[in-house]
Amino acid sequence: MGESDRHFSFRGRPRVARNGETILETLARDRPPLLRRSILYHRPQGAFCGIGHCAGCLVRVNGRPNVRACRHVPDDGDFVTTENAWPSPTWDLFGAIGVLRPNGIDTLRGLRRPAGATRLYQRIVRRFAGTGEPPTEPGARAISAPALERTVDVAIVGAGPAGRAAAAAVVAAGRRPIVLERQLRPPPVDGAEWFPATTAVFLPPPSGAGDHPFTLLAFGEPARGVRVHATAVILATGGYDASLLFRGNDRPGVLSAEAALSLSAPPRRPPFERAVVVGGGARTAEVLARCADAVEAVIAPGEIRPEVVRAAAEADISLYPRSLLLRAEGGHRVRAVRIRARSGGAETRIACDAVVLAHRRVPHTQLLFQAGAAMEWRPDVGAYFPRVGASGATSVPGLFVAGSTSGVGESEREDHSSRVAAAALLGTGTDEIPGPLPSHGPPTELIAYYRELLRVPGHGRAVACPCVDVLFSEVEEAVRSGYRGIEVVKRYSSLGTGICQGRYCLPDALLLLSILEDRPPEQVGYITQRPPVVPTPLAAFAGLPPPAEGVARP
Amino acid sequence: MTFARDSYRTVVVGGGIVGLFTAYHLARSGGGPVLVVDRGFLSGGASGRNGGGVRQQWETRGTVRLARESVEAYRRFGREFGYNIWFRQTGYLFLAENDAELDRLRTVHNLVASEGLASKVLDAAGVARLVDGIAPGAAVGGTYLESDGTLYPFPVVWGVYEAARSLGVEVLFGVEAKGVEIRNGRVAGLLTSRGAVATTTVINAAGGWSGEFSRAAGLEVPNVATRHEILATESVKPFLDPMVVRVSDGLYFSQSMRGEVIGGIALPHRPGTSLGTGSSPAFLSAMARALVGLLPRLGALGVLRAWSGNYDDTPDGFPVIGEDPRLPGFVHGNGFGGHGFMLAPATARRIALAAMGEPTDLDPAQFSPERFRAPAATRTAERLQLG
Repeated sequence: MGESDRHFSFRGRPRVARNGETILETLARDRPPLLRRSILYHRPQGAFCGIGHCAGCLVRVNGRPNVRACRHVPDDGDFVTTENAWPSPTWDLFGAIGVLRPNGIDTLRGLRRPAGATRLYQRIVRRFAGTGEPPTEPGARAISAPALERTVDVAIVGAGPAGRAAAAAVVAAGRRPIVLERQLRPPPVDGAEWFPATTAVFLPPPSGAGDHPFTLLAFGEPARGVRVHATAVILATGGYDASLLFRGNDRPGVLSAEAALSLSAPPRRPPFERAVVVGGGARTAEVLARCADAVEAVIAPGEIRPEVVRAAAEADISLYPRSLLLRAEGGHRVRAVRIRARSGGAETRIACDAVVLAHRRVPHTQLLFQAGAAMEWRPDVGAYFPRVGASGATSVPGLFVAGSTSGVGESEREDHSSRVAAAALLGTGTDEIPGPLPSHGPPTELIAYYRELLRVPGHGRAVACPCVDVLFSEVEEAVRSGYRGIEVVKRYSSLGTGICQGRYCLPDALLLLSILEDRPPEQVGYITQRPPVVPTPLAAFAGLPPPAEGVARP
Repeated sequence: MTFARDSYRTVVVGGGIVGLFTAYHLARSGGGPVLVVDRGFLSGGASGRNGGGVRQQWETRGTVRLARESVEAYRRFGREFGYNIWFRQTGYLFLAENDAELDRLRTVHNLVASEGLASKVLDAAGVARLVDGIAPGAAVGGTYLESDGTLYPFPVVWGVYEAARSLGVEVLFGVEAKGVEIRNGRVAGLLTSRGAVATTTVINAAGGWSGEFSRAAGLEVPNVATRHEILATESVKPFLDPMVVRVSDGLYFSQSMRGEVIGGIALPHRPGTSLGTGSSPAFLSAMARALVGLLPRLGALGVLRAWSGNYDDTPDGFPVIGEDPRLPGFVHGNGFGGHGFMLAPATARRIALAAMGEPTDLDPAQFSPERFRAPAATRTAERLQLG
């Protein structure tokens, strides 16, 4: 893209970011860096998601803590350091905690005695909690900016294929939509007011008054706010690659398919040489299409689809269908995985330097939950989807869904997006009553998979929530103590309360709790999605123009 | 069969901290069998959605004493209930922006100090020593009481819930109280979404829903539910010890044991219409502006999530405790105005006494349900309804 080189420092050493690379891309050019230790037990933890959600690549930039290295394009002179490890993430003395207490520390019932030690315990525990040092004032001032204010007929969130098709249809009708896209370097959308690298974080239910009942808050990196007032909103937010529960699941080298694909986008080389890819479907085929040379084996919870089998045969990749992933071994980097056939039998050890999770995609539904759209559990995917009508109308008048989240197949997606755009423009579709989701397949294979995994000794040491360092045994303990339902278990175990906002642990927790509580996942509960969709600096909210009603000053 | 028994001596409506603590005290002092019903799930109401502040700085002696007793109870909690609630006594700091506000705080200080609590009046420099990075000129001074503090609300709920259950209290969630059955002018039973159950005593500890429930029982009450928003940031290493409360706009925030900054602000809320747990852009921007204005460094801290809970407000700011004279057998334990967690340990014991028909040491002019019949001008009021 011909962007100029950016010179920054990382842990005191000079680095150069080329062509708009992020910090993570720059550091991963040689091999993926170890940036972080887990919050409580100080296990080495890797960059997992690659899309700015997980806690695996948090660094400190110019006095600002908790910056995701995968989202931050450095400026000349940026001062980048690591956090929460001493003296460094590679050699961290506090790593001893995890070694000494492999089954965790009980902060719920423990550390109560003797009563005289309360203050001391509190000082120590407080010091350990917290991902980074507090921000500095110059660091905060540097990102402060007043927000932009826009009023528009149609706002479109997401500029993947579906969002683009919807935008093109709106433009063809002679209108100028606003299009917001979270990716850092997306190709522009012609004819639209275009906000790349901008995340829509909050869409409250429409006010019901005036021509522009929707208020959508969005923020560009690092903290430039956009407040959009819209008549209609089209969500084309797509999905993301889910996590999987196994021992060592947060080790450096365990990557989402998204991270693997983006870090190996040409001309870059994959950040691994012999990866194990988990999953037997379309997403695995995508990973093989890009980096088959660097893949050692494909293991799948269920069957492996013919197109994956063909691609694997060409690249001499071993296949392990219907297998349990028991454990990832290694220290600062994954060295091997141990697997076993679903039906039983001996363990197999496969040496590898990465584990790529491509077994399941779940939809980004945060904005739909926030806006109050009626949602429904899809047992075949194991996730909540919105109820939508034929033209993408949700139960909230004026709110539409395009793309994979609407449930349409890939082949008809472009047509569908145009229909959605037309409905959003004309205000039709609002009298359309979205019915139940059309066809549910069989329940997700993963429930049966996890039922087997939970019978394997030692499964409790898997990390149920990497952001807050909750072991799966703690979730089991909550259920054993009589606490039921995702909302209560979440409060009891702290699962899902960390920096990824539950994105990676809660979808699996619903399935796992349905096994532990012996009832269907939809009875385990709803995952309440709280704004903002991603952590958003206070400076960004402070930059919004004051609301009309103001603040009471008694 | 929804209920384990056909009849109970006492049924508590509301399984939040006030209801559970009351049920616990009832069961301990022979007031059983006790049933607790709750429309939602454990910790799903304000008991699971609050900022965890516990303070003893109040404008009336009666409230200061209840709060001091609650602080003592929370200090003992870990030993008695088996859960570590991380009750951190690093103080509440009230901030004044001008001399008039500081004078008002000084009056509070005089009362609090006269109760033997080590309250301090601070000047601007004293405030700056407690709040690292406060904007210059943001406060002329304030009051500080170190034995106030913050706790982690959830384990309090787990501890009391388990203790009550181990004493034989039956606790049912997902059961909504719809009204009471009245026979011969007194309570004879509770009507619920899962059918009726016989009892001679119903305790209304329904928090934000208590006004609604009293009215369903045919009692006009002045309780008003208001939704209050709150947010939590990403966690960072400790930099702030006290809970900070600003008098002028009700901004409050503290840093939790986990390192998150948690706080809210007294935005105008439309009462009665907005029971719910959602958030608003107006709150997020007002809160962010207030917080960043006071502590500019916080601008670089990410908001992790925002939510809201429901206050159960009364016109004078005091809770309502005691049997309703209009309906024998109907006992109030509500109207805590967002301070149920602070006052629950001390008040629950007295609500339980009232439910058993025994006298309490509470001043009826301040806490009884009949006080609202007196002309408003003759009554005291708590105006420090912040944080």
